[in-house]
Amino acid sequence: MTKVAQFTSIIVGILLFVLVFAMFPVVLQPDRMNGALQFHWSQGLSSISDYFKGFEGGQTFSFISGGTELSFWIEIGRSFSVTFTYMIIGAAIGMTIGILLGIYFSVTRAQWMKRLLELTSVLPDFVIVMLLQFLIVFIASETGLVVFQVASFSTDEPAVALPLISTIIIPAIYMIRNVSLHMNLTLTEDYISFAKARGLGKRYIIFYHALPNVLPYVKADLHKFMAILFGNLFIFEYLYNLSGITMLVFSNAFTQEGYQYNLVVNGIFALLLLYALIFAVLKLLVYGWGKVFAR
Amino acid sequence: MNKTLLAGLIVTIVMLGASFFGQYFAPHDVTEQIEISYHVDDNGESELIVPPLSPNTSNPFGTDKYGIDMMAKLLAGAKYTIIASITVALVRIVIGGIIGLFLGYLSKDKPGRTSKVPIWNVLNGIPIFIIVWMIMIGVTMNPSASPLTMALILSVVLALVGIPSVASTVKEKTLVIREKQFILSAKSIGAGHWTIIRTHLFPHLKESFLILFVQEIVLILGLFGQLAIFNIFVGGTTMYFDPVEYVSRTNEWSGLIGQARNNLFIYQWILVIPLAAYIIFILGFHMISIGLEKLYKQKFSKYSHI
Repeated sequence: MTKVAQFTSIIVGILLFVLVFAMFPVVLQPDRMNGALQFHWSQGLSSISDYFKGFEGGQTFSFISGGTELSFWIEIGRSFSVTFTYMIIGAAIGMTIGILLGIYFSVTRAQWMKRLLELTSVLPDFVIVMLLQFLIVFIASETGLVVFQVASFSTDEPAVALPLISTIIIPAIYMIRNVSLHMNLTLTEDYISFAKARGLGKRYIIFYHALPNVLPYVKADLHKFMAILFGNLFIFEYLYNLSGITMLVFSNAFTQEGYQYNLVVNGIFALLLLYALIFAVLKLLVYGWGKVFAR
Repeated sequence: MNKTLLAGLIVTIVMLGASFFGQYFAPHDVTEQIEISYHVDDNGESELIVPPLSPNTSNPFGTDKYGIDMMAKLLAGAKYTIIASITVALVRIVIGGIIGLFLGYLSKDKPGRTSKVPIWNVLNGIPIFIIVWMIMIGVTMNPSASPLTMALILSVVLALVGIPSVASTVKEKTLVIREKQFILSAKSIGAGHWTIIRTHLFPHLKESFLILFVQEIVLILGLFGQLAIFNIFVGGTTMYFDPVEYVSRTNEWSGLIGQARNNLFIYQWILVIPLAAYIIFILGFHMISIGLEKLYKQKFSKYSHI
C-alpha cells in the first residue's frame, strides 16, 4: 500500500469510528418492561444515513438547544475559541513547567517533594479540581477574601484562574514524573561522567548534555500527555462551568426530542481537530527546546 | 515487607473490613431517617432539629438532607465500590494479560518500536470515559433493572474498554523479556512455545501483573468518579424531576460524591466525607503499588549480585 492510500484509509477509518461510536445511545437501549438491554442497529444506521442526507438541507449543521434551533457553525466558533484558549495555555505552560521541574526533581535531594508529587499524581482530576475549589471556599469563609472565582456563573464573567491552574498542573505532574525519570536514567550514562571529568559545570551538563537526550522521550510521550489533557478537559469544563466544546456537545446531546446524533458527531470532529492543532503546537515547542539546547 | 506496603495494606484491609462487617456495629441503619423535631429543655432553651445534621456525637459523619446517617450510607455503598473496582481490574488483567502475552510472544516487532501509524493517535482526543458515557447514558437513568445488574453492565463496559491498554502494556514487557538470553538458550535446547510461555515468560511477568492490577484499581476508581460527576453511578441513577436531581441507587462512594457536588458551599460534610473516604481508599492502593515496586526492586537486586 502506498503512503497516500494508507493515509486516506486511516482518515476514513477514524471518520467511521466516530460515526459508529456516536450512535451508541441510539443503538443500546434498555427494555422499559424488564430492563434487559436491546440493540437497535437499524436506528443507528438510519442516524448515520440521516447525517449524510442532512448535508444538503443543512440539518446536519443545526441543533436544538433549550427549544431554539441554532447553527453549529456559529456556536462552535465561540466554544472552540474558549476551549482552545484554555487548552493551549495549559498545554504550553504545563509542558514548560513540567520539563523544568522534572529536571529539578531529578537532581534535588528533597525526597519529601518526590513523595508529594507521587501522591498528587494518583489523585483523579476531579478530586484535584474539587480540592482547589474547597481551598478557595475555605479561604473565603475564614478571611472573607475570595481569591479566585470558583466557577463561571455566566459567560460574561468566566472563571479564569482556577481552570488555568488545573489545566496546567495536572498534565505538568505527568510531565515532571516522566522527565525526571528519563533524566535520572540519562545522568547515569558514561558521557555524563566524561563531561564531568572535563570540568564542565553542572548546569551546563544538565542542559546541554543530558536534556537533548531526554527530549526525544518527551516527544514520544506527547500523545500520552495530550490524552491526559483531553481526558481532563471534560471534567474541567463541567466543574468550572466553562462554555467550551464539550459543554456545547454534552449538555445539548439529549433534548426533549431525543438524542442529537449530528451534534455529537460534529462536536467530536471539532475535538479531534483541536487535538491535531494543539499537538502541532506542542511538537513545535519541543522542537524549539531541542534547537535552543543543541550544541 | 516495607513500610509503604504495610501502610497501604493496613488502610485497604481496614476499609474492606469496615465495608463488609461495619454495618453490624454502625449506630444507624441506611433506612433510618431523622425527622424534623423541636425540643425544649428544662432551662427553656429550644432546639429545632432539621436534617441535614452536621457531624455530632450520635451521627459522627452527619446526615444527608433526608436525615439518613452518612456513615450508614458509606458502609452500604462501599461494597459496590470495592467489589466492582477489584473485579473489573481482575478481568482486565486476566484477559488483557493473556492477549498481551500471546501478542508479545508471537509478534515480529522489536521492543520499543511501534508500527502504529501516528495519525491513529488522534483518537486519544476521545477519552475512555466519553466512550463509557456514550454507552451508558441511554441505559443508566431510572433503569428498571436491579442495581446489581446495572453495576454488572457498567463493569463489563469498563472491563472491555480497559483491555486494550493492559494488553499493549503487557505486550511491550513481553517483547523485552523475549529478547533475553535465557529465552534463547531455552529455545536452543528445544523448549516448545508452551514451555517458554509457562516457565519463562509468565514467571517474569508475575510481578508486573500484580503491580498493574493495583494500578488498574486506582484507574478504575478514577473512572468511577469521572462518570459520577456526569451522573452515571455504579448501580444506576435515580433521576428525580422537578427539581432535577440525580441520586445514586446504591450509595456507592463515587456516586455519593457526584450527587453531593452542589454542597461545595453549604453542608460541606455531605461532600467532604465521601470524598475523604474515596481519597483514602485510592491512596491505600497507591501505597500498595509503590510498596510492591520497592519490594521487587530489592528482591531482584539481591539476585543479580550472585
